[in-house]
Amino acid sequence: MSKILVVADTKGSDVRKPTLELLTKTRKAGLSTDAVVIGQGVQKNADLLAGNGAATVYVADDAGLAQFATAPYAAAIVDAAKQSGATQVWLSVGEMSKALGGALAVRLDGAFVSDVVELELKGDEVIATRPAMATKVLQRVTFAHPGIRIIAVRSGAFDAEPQPPKTAKVVALATPKGDERAKVKGLVAAQDAGELDLGEARIIVSVGRGVKGPEGVELVRPLAKALGAAFGASRAVVDSGWMPYSAQVGQTGRVVAPDIYVAIGVSGAIQHLAGMSGSKLIVAVNKDADAPIFSVADYGMVADLFKAVPIMIEEVAKHKQ
Amino acid sequence: MNIVVPIKSVIDVELNIRVQEGKIAKDGMSYIISKWDENAIEAALQLKEKHGGEVTVVSVGPDRASESLRKALAMGADKAVHVNDPAAEDSDSFGFAKILAKVAQRGPFDLIITGKQAQDTDMGGTGPILAELLGLPQVYNVIKLESDEPSTLKLNRLGHQGQEMVELKLPALIAANDSLNEPRLASLRGIMAAKKKPLDVLKLADLGLSPDEVGAKGARVRTLEFQPPKRRAAGKKFEGDAEEVTRKVMDLLANEAKIFA
Repeated sequence: MSKILVVADTKGSDVRKPTLELLTKTRKAGLSTDAVVIGQGVQKNADLLAGNGAATVYVADDAGLAQFATAPYAAAIVDAAKQSGATQVWLSVGEMSKALGGALAVRLDGAFVSDVVELELKGDEVIATRPAMATKVLQRVTFAHPGIRIIAVRSGAFDAEPQPPKTAKVVALATPKGDERAKVKGLVAAQDAGELDLGEARIIVSVGRGVKGPEGVELVRPLAKALGAAFGASRAVVDSGWMPYSAQVGQTGRVVAPDIYVAIGVSGAIQHLAGMSGSKLIVAVNKDADAPIFSVADYGMVADLFKAVPIMIEEVAKHKQ
Repeated sequence: MNIVVPIKSVIDVELNIRVQEGKIAKDGMSYIISKWDENAIEAALQLKEKHGGEVTVVSVGPDRASESLRKALAMGADKAVHVNDPAAEDSDSFGFAKILAKVAQRGPFDLIITGKQAQDTDMGGTGPILAELLGLPQVYNVIKLESDEPSTLKLNRLGHQGQEMVELKLPALIAANDSLNEPRLASLRGIMAAKKKPLDVLKLADLGLSPDEVGAKGARVRTLEFQPPKRRAAGKKFEGDAEEVTRKVMDLLANEAKIFA
């Protein structure tokens, strides 16, 4: 019998929306599902995970797990997978899902597929579709090994239909063993408080090199605020130090697929396009009519962003009234 | 510090990629070192320049992989190992990692540096699997690297919460992001010198591997087919006076796309 273990994706101590997308998928497909949540102060999410379809919620809650490290996280998931009898482990794609998925493939003697955007399931017969070659092709793969299937799914691949919490059957995991050789020392800079997470936002406004500097970034920021959008950036902007690394959209940073993606002064290098072309609606402003971003834009404005953005902010305010 | 850098020769993804009968069309394609692997080579060379030691580049692939290895030697790597065996073709991440583990174990090493993923599959499994097979600690998605003493690396990685600091004791494996460095170009002198550097060509049998363990036969993940991407419907592009264009598009976003509804 197939059984899915959903690995909850957390920000701080809160479960993020991509986890609810995975649980919605297994719930609607009627698949037997457990969940595991790892971190510090994460026990509180157990009822939410149960309400959304996890029969048993495995919890590894410890101060030493506040930040991701491959070894203890993998150890906790292995423990949960063994207790649960899981035949598949589902992760959400994030900066660390490749490290984690690869480690799990060895520790669970299974196989790992990343960046999945479509799943066809017949028990443990799985066909996964994933973009490859900077999203220039789609690759359909299957598992040719009897071991556990480890599948990392991109956010937005499935819709989330959140359900109210209910009392969970909780199993507390033993504190997983870390690896003293790789010590996580903390964050270089704390993320701006209150900033919307790129992986969860319905709308993302993103700035590219065309903003020319920190003043340009500040010109666009109010547009993100007015739209209730998360604020992202291209690699060029992040490497220049105008925006934090946590804001970086693209294959090098965060792969996103919001309902609406607004690219301001982003030319559209392939790594950027690969990171956002799954967005449902794409709006682009660039003064270069030949910029590659227009090849994916549903609405393109060939215009000077320094003139266009203030008008956009004004128009958003008008329509939001 | 002895460093092993696995590199992959891949189709240049900047080119126009076509799919024919479920496969990537190979005609007219050119091959390059996968982008993130170049960052791995550069990081290894910088560490060697600081602490001494040797950089060994390794590639598993057909004949053309030797061109990528020569390029890495021209950049400054000391030795190359080319695993060129038809039975290794169509390996999955696990298969590549098994082969690379055997190559790494041929000599003492302090560090393995991989790219964060290869540009052809974008799968990203090989490095993490390799680390686990060798029992090494690993740090993925490294964007900054400092090393005052050769036994420890001070790393920043692009993690879930932004830039995270990690201290890593060697031996270990790290996976490079392209923000880590700007890979150097090979100098003419480097290109000449590369011709005389050792490039070992190995078969699976030389590594004690059977053809069933790797390649298409040993693959745990099998590709069924490639498909062209789903085309987006052609968009609308507006040019002209900035204010007119902006008001027009904002009106369409409100009334046609109904983004404020």
